[in-house]
Order: sequence, then C-alpha cells, then structure tokens
Amino acid sequence: MIWSMILIILPLVMIALYSVVTKDDSLLSFNFTLDNFIKIGDPVYVKVIVKSLAVGALVTLICLVISYPLALFITRTSEKTGSILILFLTIPMLINTLLRTYAWISLLSEHGIINAALRSVGIARQNMIYNNFSVMIGLVCDLLPFMVIPIHTAMAKMDTNLIDAAYDLGANKLQVITRVIFKMSLPGVISGCISVFIFSISEFVVPELLGGHQFVLIGNLIENQFISIGDWNFGSALGILLVVLIIALAIALRKTDRGDNND
Amino acid sequence: MTKKNSLLSRLYIVLCFVFLYLPILVTTVFSFNSSKSLTRFTGFSLRWYAKLLRDESIISAVYVSLSIAIIATFVATVFGTITAIGISRNRKLIKNVVLNINNIPIVSPDIVLAIGLMILFTSLHFPRGYMTMLISHIVFCMPFVITSVYPKVRSLPPNLADAAMDLGATPLQTLLKVVVPMLKPGIFAGILLSFTISLDDFVVSFFVTGNGVSNISIVVYNMTKRMNPVINALSAVLIAVSVLIMVGTMLIPKMVKKRRAHRTLPTARSVAIRKWSARFVVFIGIALIAVFSVKGWSAQNKKTLRVFNGGEYVDMELIKRFEEENDCKVLYETFDSNESMYTKIKSGSEYDIIITSDYMIERLKREKYLSKLDTSQITRRDKVIPSLLKKNFDPKGEYSIPYYWGSVGILYDKTKVDTKDLKEGWNLLANPKYSGKLYMYDSSRDTFMIALKVLGYSMNTDNKKEINQAYEWLAKQGKVMNPVYVGDDVMDNMISSNKALAVVYSGDASYIIDENSDMDFFIPEQGSNVWTDSMVMTKFCENKKLAHKYMDFFLDHKVAVKNTKYIGYDSGVKSVYNYFKKEYYKGNSGCGPDISNPLNEEFTDQKNEIKKYMDELWTKIKTKR
Repeated sequence: MIWSMILIILPLVMIALYSVVTKDDSLLSFNFTLDNFIKIGDPVYVKVIVKSLAVGALVTLICLVISYPLALFITRTSEKTGSILILFLTIPMLINTLLRTYAWISLLSEHGIINAALRSVGIARQNMIYNNFSVMIGLVCDLLPFMVIPIHTAMAKMDTNLIDAAYDLGANKLQVITRVIFKMSLPGVISGCISVFIFSISEFVVPELLGGHQFVLIGNLIENQFISIGDWNFGSALGILLVVLIIALAIALRKTDRGDNND
Repeated sequence: MTKKNSLLSRLYIVLCFVFLYLPILVTTVFSFNSSKSLTRFTGFSLRWYAKLLRDESIISAVYVSLSIAIIATFVATVFGTITAIGISRNRKLIKNVVLNINNIPIVSPDIVLAIGLMILFTSLHFPRGYMTMLISHIVFCMPFVITSVYPKVRSLPPNLADAAMDLGATPLQTLLKVVVPMLKPGIFAGILLSFTISLDDFVVSFFVTGNGVSNISIVVYNMTKRMNPVINALSAVLIAVSVLIMVGTMLIPKMVKKRRAHRTLPTARSVAIRKWSARFVVFIGIALIAVFSVKGWSAQNKKTLRVFNGGEYVDMELIKRFEEENDCKVLYETFDSNESMYTKIKSGSEYDIIITSDYMIERLKREKYLSKLDTSQITRRDKVIPSLLKKNFDPKGEYSIPYYWGSVGILYDKTKVDTKDLKEGWNLLANPKYSGKLYMYDSSRDTFMIALKVLGYSMNTDNKKEINQAYEWLAKQGKVMNPVYVGDDVMDNMISSNKALAVVYSGDASYIIDENSDMDFFIPEQGSNVWTDSMVMTKFCENKKLAHKYMDFFLDHKVAVKNTKYIGYDSGVKSVYNYFKKEYYKGNSGCGPDISNPLNEEFTDQKNEIKKYMDELWTKIKTKR
C-alpha cells in the first residue's frame, strides 16, 4: 500500500522539484529559481493557456449539451435496451483514440469523404480541417462517452416516483426537467464535466493532428518542452500549473454542488 | 409517467451513435479497400489483412499492448483491492490522506503523470523499456481499481470479518471466501476500467518507453508519415475483439444467474467447480506472467542489436532478413524528430546504432556518445557516393556511414500554381495569391532556414539580429498566408491534392510525385539545406561486429534498392542512386536534386542558447493566430 502511494507521489514531487531549479547538467546542484514560473507570464504562453481553457470549456459545454438529452432518452428506454445502448457507448472507448482521430482526417480533409459526398449532391467544398471545427469534432467524439455514462448513472438511480409526484403537485414539463430531473442528475453532470474538461485541456495529439501544428494547447507546449526542446524545467512548471488549475476547478465545482444541496 | 421515447428522441439517439461510430465505420470499411487510398473506395480486398499478419512491428506492438494491459490489470486489481480493504481499517485521518493521494492520478491529466514518471525513471537511471511501461501502467491503473472497490468495501457490514473468524475461518479464508466475493462488482468494474485505459494509453507509454518497446498507440503515432491501411485492418480486428469481449462480459453473468436460478442448494459438485474455477483464474494469471517474463528473458539470450531510427525510415522486411541471416534480434525503435531522439538519449536510453542527421551527429560526436567505426569491417564502404564520406560533420568518415541524403524545396500542384511564379523562389510561400493554400513544415530549423535564405543570410547564423529579422518575415508570412503547419502528415495531404503548395524534403517529394502526377518539385535559387542522414554506432554498443554488419547490410545494392523503394529518398549507395535517378524515378524532380548551388549549406550544430532562442520564436509564430 505504501509503495504504491510512493509511486504516485514521487513523480509529482519530481515535477515540483524540476519546476523550481535551473537547467544544469549535473543533477546534484540545485539552483533554486522561479524563472520557470515567471516565464509562463510571457504573453505567448498566457495566450496558449487561455486558449486551452477556452477549448476545454467549449468541449465540455458541447459534450454536455449533446449528452444530456442522450442520457435522458437512454434512461427512458427499457432496462434491456438501455444497457445495450450503454454497452455500445463504451465500445468506442476500447478502440484506439489515435486510430479514430486518423479516421476523422480522412473524413474531413479537403478531398475527404464528406467533401466527396457533398460534391456528389452539388454542394461546394467545405473547409473543415485544420481549424477549430475539426479539433472540436475530434475531441467531442473522443470524450462524449465520458459525459454520457456518469449522467446516465445518476439518472438511473433516480426515483421515478419523484417525477410523478412533481407532476401530481402541478409542475409542468419544463419545471419537472429543470427543478427535479436536472437537480437529481447534478452529481453525474459534475463528474462528467470534470473528466471531460481534464481530458480536453491536456490533450495534445488530437489538436496536433486535426488542428495542424499551429493549434498549440498547453499539452502540446509541455510535450514540446520535454520531447523536442529539452527544457524539462519549464515543462515541469507548466505541468504544475495544469494540476493546480484542475484541482482548483474540481474544488470549485464540488463546492457549488454542495452549496446547491444545502438550499 | 410515460416510459416511451418519441420518434424525435429516437432519431436523436441514432444520430449520436452515428457520430460516435462514423470514424470506426470508416476505418473498418477502408480496411477492405483494394487500393491504398483512405478516401476513395475502389474495390473489396483482403490484402491489408494479409499484410497485417506479416507486419512484425505491428504484431509485436499488439503483443506489448495486450500483455501490459493484462499484467497491469492483474497486478493493479490485486494490490488495489488489498489497498482498498486496508484503507477502510485505518484511522480516519490516514484514510482521508490516502484517498486524496489516490485521487491525484485520476484528476490530474495523464501528461503530468507521464512527465513525472519520465523524470523519475531518468533520475534513477532505470533502463527504459517494457518494465518502465509496465510499472507506469500499474501506477495509473491502481487508483481506478481503488476508487471502484473502496465504496463496496465501505458498504460491507463492519463485523463481517469478525463473524467469519469467530466461526473458525482463518484470516486468508475470510479474505478470499467472505470479503472478496462481496466486493465482486467493484473489482469487476476496476478490472474493466484498468484494462480499457491501459490498452488505449498513448501519452504515458510514449514518454516512458525505450529500447524498441512500442505499443499500438506509439506505432500508430509514428506512422503519420505514410498512413497505411494495414492499421485500418488492425483496428477492424480490435473492434471485433472488443465487441466480443464486451458482449461476452454482458452475457456470461446473465447465463450464470440463470443457471443458478435452477438450483436451490449448492451441491458438493458446484462448490468444487467454483473452487477450481477460482484456482484456475489465479493459475492463468501466474502462468501469463511467467510466460511473458520467460519470453522476455529468452529474447535477451539471443544476440541483440538496438537500432534507433526515424519513423517509416526502413523497410521492416529487411530488418527481418537481417535477423535471419545473422541469427540475432533487432530491437527496433523509432523517433519522430532528431530533437526527440536526442532527448531520449539524454534521458538515459541506450542504443547500439542510431540513424540521424548531420548536425546531430556533430553534437553526439562532441558529447562523446559515438564510437569510431572499424572501416575494414564494412566491406561495401567503397560503394558509397564518395562526397558523402567527406562531410563537415565527419570529414574523415570515421564515425558514420551515409544512409540517405537530400534537400528541402517546394512541392507545388501544377494544375493550381502558375509556373511563372516559380522564379520567386522561397518568396512564393509569401505570395498572397496562394494564401490559405499551403503547408509549412513544423520544424523550427527548416522554417528559419527558409526565412534566412530569403534575407540572404546563412542558415547557420548565430547573430540574433538576423534571426529576429527572419522571425519578422515568418510572422508576417504567417499572417498573410495563413499556412497550416504540419508534420509528416503533409505527405498524405499532398497525395490527395489538399493544398497547392508545401515545403517538403526532396525524398518525400519523389514519393508524393510518384503517387500524384499533378505535383512537381523545385529547390529555390536562394539556396537550401542539403542534408545527410547517416548510421552511427554509440559508445554503448557491445556487439560491435554485429553493428558493423548491420551498416554493411544496408550498403548492399539489392537491399538498398528494396529499402529505397519503400522510403523514396536518395540513397547513399552510388549504384542505387543511379538506378533510381535513371530508371525507377525517371523524370521525377524530387529524385536526385541538383545541389550544386553554392548558396546551399549543411546544418551545423547550434549553440544551446541560439537553439532555445529559435525554438521560443518558433512557438511564438505557431501560436500567433
């Protein structure tokens, strides 16, 4: 038990350590510095971080908007169909993400499958790849199941008598959905949002392949520092920033959840 | 309350699933395509499946992915369950601390865990490869097991274990017969989750692997250069297998339930069956681990050669032939850029042979990573184009044997680009006429080379003023032209005529022109980069004889011809170069480019400070828009 905890903590400690020392060839001399964190303040990097947050937020929002009705409809089907639908929702998660991303390239590119189909019905060629659109498509397709499943789980636990009770007490359909169903499914919504946001904010392969290499997100920046540029210290500082951002967000969301329940 | 869905909502469900399954459908359909195209279906064939069975690198990647997923899931489940049970018996404070720590890998992005593990293994000088990948997978799977098992542990009646022991069960019996069966649903969810995550992982594996060990994701990632439909065939097989597994896991518990419903009391036989099936599962687990470790060990017993090469930079069938001829095992690993290769070496990975470019050889030589060759052992050295053995990075040809060489230029679509504009040279890339219609290459040095050449400077300058001017040019070009910065995916894109212009290596141009005759290639008069990729032997190499044999093998005419047909670059072997220039690629402007222009240069190794400066400016250019 303890060794497993060590393996989890040690890497984080190492990142934290690397983020506050200067680059030096010998591992034993630690020159403390905050330069790596100061460097993040450079407008270039601030822009990347803001863009990552925006992409994360947008992907989460789109996933939520698509998933919520889907989860609701799945819950309303019979138990058997519901579990089969959920099963088919999990199958794509087993298929390699990279392979699915490549498939989107052949679907969306200038001379791709969708454009060929459009042209055959007389619609002009659309520019669908290497822009925000293609990155969104790729990320949403990749992360949708992570949103649907927790929401569905929360809804499935819900006592349907509550809904009947609400109707009996004179609530209209809209009120039932917003006041009863949404509130009851909130824990699922929150856990779905957190996981989709975490995944999308740190993703670097999907943006690179579908957005072109100019689509730099914080994940790409970290990967670049570690793999090609070789500035591990700055990369570590970015990593720490990412963890802090996410933990702050998770705490904030949990707080609002609890706050709501106390009403 | 109506339980029925309206037609509209059913349609919505269908639409969502179409969206989710569209990419999977595309890969499956195109795995049966008779041609190489990933966008046009030309006819049914099973050729990619036949190729899949013969592709060693994919087969071994499947083996790595599956074995790691199985072992990591097994270990993570056993230890995760024990930990979950252990936590619940601790004091509240410890419990909370452990649970919170456990949550860290779950909430923190995998890239953070990946770099943390990479730093850890590097600073411990832990040799990277199968073991590091396995340990990492166990580390990130275990928290998921703990989170799925722990709630079930908490819901157990608190005195359950005491009751069992009061009734005379030993602690082990209590654990296996009372506690574990009660936790089954949680453990099962944990297993499924770990297996899925481990099998699909790219980021962590990519950062911690080494010494020729790749899983499926890494192989796919390094395949960007030439997406080949073999990978579609693999994906179709994986889809079929996952569907079977998922349906199986759904149906088996139901069948068991049904059977159980038929009997009222457990007979002696059924108890025995259950006992034996439990033992059987444990036995399989142990056997699998044993088989895998024996296999790894026996591979070590053979002579091995660790080769580190760029992605898609060898015909794998030749590696197989070399292994057979010399009764050895080649641990073949690929990198996606010279810089990532260097980082890998810096972080402690060891290889025997590396295939890399001029300036990088200069650096490796200076940092004493290389070992001198015994040229008498390379009998075919005289077949090499003589000028290639006298390059600045290795003037006496003591350290390196040339592999491929070429230059950088502009690939253009003859049907879209006015040939009169070609005289603009590199400035063509800034001609607003072609705005939005070009690909630039995502490599800071190659792109700065273009700007420096436009301005008439040396591409090896360490004058920051000149570099700043080049930056201004590139920033403006980026704004006006709106180019897409790509990696090796430029090849597939140009083969399908997606844009009019692209900056490419001459060898890639030959390959593209061969596939798409609308394309042509030229090297601007302002001068360009002339590069040589060579094979070098590192100081870590133990079996030097085998390493020399490897280099000699690739100088053989027939071998080099086969290799060149696969790669498309200009060979360093004279007879092979001539054959391609005069016959195979006759008239192809990408093949054997004229490099006599005095303005052409070779890259020299940059000072760290300049390299960092350029890299930062490059990040700025890419993120400008």
